[in-house]
Amino acid sequence: MAVTKMFGASVKRREDARMMTGRAHYTDDVRRNHTLHMGVVRSPHAHARITSVDTSAAASMPGVVAVFSGADLVDDIAPVPCAWLIPDSDLKVPEYRAIAVDKARFVGDAVAVVIAEDRYQAEDAADAVNVSYEPLDVVTNQEEAVKDGAPQLYDDVPNNLAFQWKLNGGDFDAAQNSAEVKISQRFVNQRLIPNAMEARGVLADFNPGSGSLEVWLTSQNPHIHRLLLSAVTGIPETDIRVDSTDVGGGFGSKIPLYGGEMVACAIAKKLGRPIKWMESRRENYVTTSHGRDHIDYVDLAATNDGVVTGLRVEAYANHGAYLSTAAPGVPTWLFGTMLSGPYKIPNISCTVNGVLTNTTTTDAYRGAGRPEATYLIERMMDLLAQELGMDPVEIRRKNFIQPDEFPYTVATTLQYDSGNYDGALDKALQMVGYEDLRKKQEQLRSEGRYLGIGFSTYVEVCGLAPSAAAGAMGFQGGLWESATVRVHPSGKATVFTGASPHGQGEETTFAQLISHETGIPFHDIEVVHSDTDRIPFGWGTYGSRSTAVGGSALVYAARNVVEKAKRFAAHMLESSPEDIEFNDGVFSVKGSPERSKTIQDVALAAHLAWDLPEGEKPGLEENYFFDPTNFTFPFGTHICVVEIDAETGAVDVQKYVAVDDLGNVINPMIVDGQVHGGIAQGLAQALYEYAAYDDGGQLLTGSMMDYCVPKFEHIPHMDVDRTVTTTPVNPMGLKGAGETGTIASTPAVVNAIIDALSPLGVKHIDMPLTSQRVWKVIEERKGS
Amino acid sequence: MKISGSYTVNAERQAVWDRLLDPDSLASCLPGVEKLEKTGENEYDMAMNVGVGMIRGTYDGKVRVNNINEPTDYQMYVEGSGRPGFVKGTGNIELEDKGDGTTEITYEGDVEVGGPVGSVAQRMLGSVSKRMVDQFFSCVEDSIKKGS
Repeated sequence: MAVTKMFGASVKRREDARMMTGRAHYTDDVRRNHTLHMGVVRSPHAHARITSVDTSAAASMPGVVAVFSGADLVDDIAPVPCAWLIPDSDLKVPEYRAIAVDKARFVGDAVAVVIAEDRYQAEDAADAVNVSYEPLDVVTNQEEAVKDGAPQLYDDVPNNLAFQWKLNGGDFDAAQNSAEVKISQRFVNQRLIPNAMEARGVLADFNPGSGSLEVWLTSQNPHIHRLLLSAVTGIPETDIRVDSTDVGGGFGSKIPLYGGEMVACAIAKKLGRPIKWMESRRENYVTTSHGRDHIDYVDLAATNDGVVTGLRVEAYANHGAYLSTAAPGVPTWLFGTMLSGPYKIPNISCTVNGVLTNTTTTDAYRGAGRPEATYLIERMMDLLAQELGMDPVEIRRKNFIQPDEFPYTVATTLQYDSGNYDGALDKALQMVGYEDLRKKQEQLRSEGRYLGIGFSTYVEVCGLAPSAAAGAMGFQGGLWESATVRVHPSGKATVFTGASPHGQGEETTFAQLISHETGIPFHDIEVVHSDTDRIPFGWGTYGSRSTAVGGSALVYAARNVVEKAKRFAAHMLESSPEDIEFNDGVFSVKGSPERSKTIQDVALAAHLAWDLPEGEKPGLEENYFFDPTNFTFPFGTHICVVEIDAETGAVDVQKYVAVDDLGNVINPMIVDGQVHGGIAQGLAQALYEYAAYDDGGQLLTGSMMDYCVPKFEHIPHMDVDRTVTTTPVNPMGLKGAGETGTIASTPAVVNAIIDALSPLGVKHIDMPLTSQRVWKVIEERKGS
Repeated sequence: MKISGSYTVNAERQAVWDRLLDPDSLASCLPGVEKLEKTGENEYDMAMNVGVGMIRGTYDGKVRVNNINEPTDYQMYVEGSGRPGFVKGTGNIELEDKGDGTTEITYEGDVEVGGPVGSVAQRMLGSVSKRMVDQFFSCVEDSIKKGS
């Protein structure tokens, strides 16, 4: 296999063999002798004082080893930590106990745990724990929760307002005062529930003899979890190993540290026996952090010819009952900074109210903040086009940042690295056959049919993050990444990354990357990740950072390996390093290619060390810590074409075109898969998914029967292509691909539906645009 | 959640009334009753095993009968909780003598449910409660027939 082809080759995913045949070691597959199982007693009330917890009946049941209420464990574990402490926002982090002590604050809040010999005994005994509640008034909606007189979740968080965060660039008021056109719209970006194939779980094995704790954990960031577990249990970081090698999807929901995992670790230490807890799917729906849940009030100022001069957003973000690990950063920094989209908007004002309610916590969910920002700016561009009678394509072109203007600093302070927004738009228009489509739309409209074309010309921020930026944003960590490239005596290599893939395929792409850099065959490269005992350190996988940041660390480590090997090769060839050329894993003397050594020859010589070059050390291994200088900004154009059945409101997605610019691409097949999955997820928000609560705080969509995760028949065919604009931010020139589909697709679908219904005067419908909602609007309009 | 409905029993109103307020017939006719103990005037402790969709389990709770106007109407208060969650509800029951030897029972109530039964099974609750109520009244009807 030619080395130069590994970068850019659609190599099949090597992790699939074990994952598709049941040979992966997901947390629940790991077995330890004498394991005990945990069952959790959860509050059926959304808000209630806990007046008593009677564990006596449960404790006497068969197989039960121990029962703990919240009060029983107060001295064993610190509260669940919040690790994104956004500055200058009057942030209040209320106490979040892993097991509630005085009050339950959402349906599913843990109130006691039962430890038993098997799972069945644990669940049966959990039934027998007798908890007395005094129900309190409930508030689930964030706009209601901040009003005077609303039920208060905490004594020390007035009006349930956890923070108020502001970001201002330019002078919106001035722009508004001189605006020729003003558009205002309220958007609901509804609450979504992540549905990873593997639910959350933990196996915690504490060895009282050595004092060490081994933890198998469904985690996207095992080193962060090790650090936090150490902080909350008091066990030194050096005595904790977290292994998250095989994790079945996360979408952000496995970033936070949750109470269940903490409690299992603390009890494993207390009882000196391994504790396993795997949440059921029902528990998953009520206790694993949800996503989105914004209400956004948006004002846009523009000129008569369609130039946007200002944007103001007042957002109400529902955080649920507690602040989850990364929660405060999601609706603020990851949202407010992206409000300019791909457009030159000189004046932007953003206020975000972070609100606590009697609902499940919310945190990062695929895209995290950026889908919310992209949705509202892309919807506003369409509303402006509609108001001015302009084509949505033209209004976008008019406001795009131009290719020669990069690096471009937007009013919200970010500096976009590179872009060619018209390029992606042109390609997408050509793929979808735009001019013909508009003619067809005209034709169908005359027949009383509703065809719509929707655009999303998005830009998003990836490659989180320069550590100094992370610090300025209040993130309680760095966001650099580590890598080790170790070439063995046989010439095979093991590479260690601080990224923590859980479905993204980096065991394959990182091997391609290292093969490309070193010439070591793909199959001779092993990729190790997600085990804190083997990896120097890592900040994990989220924010489309694994390849942009983790991959960069690997490239530099590999290049240092090649540099060292070159010095060895020069010595072996009795030449000087400056006279050595390196190609496809072969070092040769310039001008005499027959005098050569392979990297495998060098690896053996470096390990034997019988004849070291002057000043060199044995071995062939390099570490690298990479801290990016900037974020990366992937962009593109998604176009959705729908026809609506006016009799039923059903939306038929007839075409979906995605042109993404992700910079260079290591494995096009894997990237296509990421894009397909992302589009499916974003389209599902537009059309199907919605976490619904009743007034009492009961989650009405608490199962796959009630919550519409899209099935195969719900997802259209997608035409996916790319343009390539490289980034100077990393050595690979790539931007990141994990979240683009989700971020881009939602507004494209909604814009298409509104475009279809525009002859009826429809301007907006809040998501999800189910056939019932669409039908209702059509009926209202026809009646009026 | 609001529930309401009616059921016509082929029996005289007084006979129906007597059965409806008799704890033994309540215990034998309410589906899934595991325990019914009188704890005071018109007050009972009750344990009931009910399945709604895939959520099945025992609810322990209380039943109280209020505002009794024999033989035309009364109010019933029920609360119960258990592993499946909790149920709380108040209902008004009216008996109308149709004059042809039959009695029409009309009921309406407001039920609050929470926990797993609320999140997973709430959309099935309407049909399940209707079925249970029908089962109950038809059992009452049968017991009158057999008793007379």
